[in-house]
Amino acid sequence: MENPTDLPFNPKPPTILHLDLNSCFATIEQQANPKLRGKPVAVAAYTTPSGCIIAPSVEAKRLGVRLGMRVKDGKMICPHLIVLPPDPWKYRNVHLSLKNLLKTYTDLVFPRSIDEFVLDLEGFPAYAKGMLEVGKEIKERIKKEIGDWLTVSVGIGPNRFLAKTAASLHKPDGLDVIDRNNYLDIYARLKLTDLCGIKIQNTVRLNNAGIYTVLDFYYASSWQLQSAFASIVGYHWYLRLRGWETDDVEFARQSFGNSYALPKPLVSPAELAPLLRKLVEKTGIRMRKSGYWTKGVHVALLYRDGSFWHRGYTLPDYIFDCRDIYKAAFRILLQSPYQKPVRNLAVSCFNLKKAANMQMDLFGNLEKKQKLVEAVDKINEKWGDFVITPALMLGMENTIIDRVSYGNIKELQNMVISNLCADDTDFQSKT
Amino acid sequence: MIQKIDAPISVDLYFDHKLRKVFPRLVIWEGREYLITKIGLHHAFREGRILYHVFSVESPSLFFRLVFNTESLHWRVQEIADGEPN
Repeated sequence: MENPTDLPFNPKPPTILHLDLNSCFATIEQQANPKLRGKPVAVAAYTTPSGCIIAPSVEAKRLGVRLGMRVKDGKMICPHLIVLPPDPWKYRNVHLSLKNLLKTYTDLVFPRSIDEFVLDLEGFPAYAKGMLEVGKEIKERIKKEIGDWLTVSVGIGPNRFLAKTAASLHKPDGLDVIDRNNYLDIYARLKLTDLCGIKIQNTVRLNNAGIYTVLDFYYASSWQLQSAFASIVGYHWYLRLRGWETDDVEFARQSFGNSYALPKPLVSPAELAPLLRKLVEKTGIRMRKSGYWTKGVHVALLYRDGSFWHRGYTLPDYIFDCRDIYKAAFRILLQSPYQKPVRNLAVSCFNLKKAANMQMDLFGNLEKKQKLVEAVDKINEKWGDFVITPALMLGMENTIIDRVSYGNIKELQNMVISNLCADDTDFQSKT
Repeated sequence: MIQKIDAPISVDLYFDHKLRKVFPRLVIWEGREYLITKIGLHHAFREGRILYHVFSVESPSLFFRLVFNTESLHWRVQEIADGEPN
């Protein structure tokens, strides 16, 4: 079927709601500790001077502290900046509370990241209240039921892209709609880089095609955009800007990986081996928990001089045991031609296949190994991570700690923590 | 100043069965009583099979991160802060 190329703006009423928790990690920290409210706060991967700021609070942002800055730079701009380490379970709990609240409006709730949700209200009773009313009600309920300091920006549109764009129009605490009545006014006020997915490279591509503003982008024909992006991506932009849905795609899991920024400059494979082992353990446990086996192992090294080396191998058979993954990863590590101080070590497993779809082993050896690994995983799950641990990892209890990622919430959705809180007891009450 | 610690602490937890509300009313730390005026956040996590409840609470002078071990039924304080930068 040919793609239609003379589409008008989607006339359907907006039914998609995008919700974005403002300055997520920092706001949650201020929610937890009321003494931090109204003060510049930043959550950093490490609180040491060279640690990276991953979430500045609204107050810190106003003073010029930005995401990705070093702690020392943040403190130079704002000497009273309060720097906190991440507390992943705090953020995961708030994410799940938000999800439960949003589920009362529609079954179609899609977490896009730890701090973003998309809701489709089409055909659900809540839609009858009116989208703006639902947006206001959600904001009020979040303050009442989850945390009085939490603010969210809500965007409403006929497709996911326009709902997200609407959510970014006023931050923090915004509530905006983009629909057939106002899209041209809003496009006229935006720059190309205000659009999610358009940064420097794509701006250059569009400029080369004679497109300099969002209105130019909207008025460009389908073929003009396909030529600018040199792919079908151009047509997707053509649909997106006209309010037609192209982003309701859930991607399958492609890989599992863990990385670690080394506080000490280790050089030799022997020094790096215990860290590699722990990274492999964490990756392997997550992979098996999600029900996958792997056929590909990849190791990446970022050196302190800024250079980078990486290599990945596809194995002859699918593997699941961390001992086998480690053997492959260590073999790759030995191939690195450089003996330089390492800043960052990363390992990942790719070429995944669901464990349930694996062929049975004729002689049963694989089954024995599988049962052993399952037993070790069960013991670790019951008694705590790394209760049974490889000898190579001894003394590494406090390295490579739990982290929470912004984008990857696939595993969070699989975590069974619904039994964390006893029935409907209210823990948010104040004296 | 934020101080990370890990020490046992006495906590008076109140449960109102009619309102279905739970909150720590009072903590006794270093021989002093601190009346809790606000629960900032409650969250929970598991370490192995043990479920922990974390109450981030505020008294007029200090913030406490209180952790309740649901197996031993013991409380520990893991953080005390006065809201000033370190």
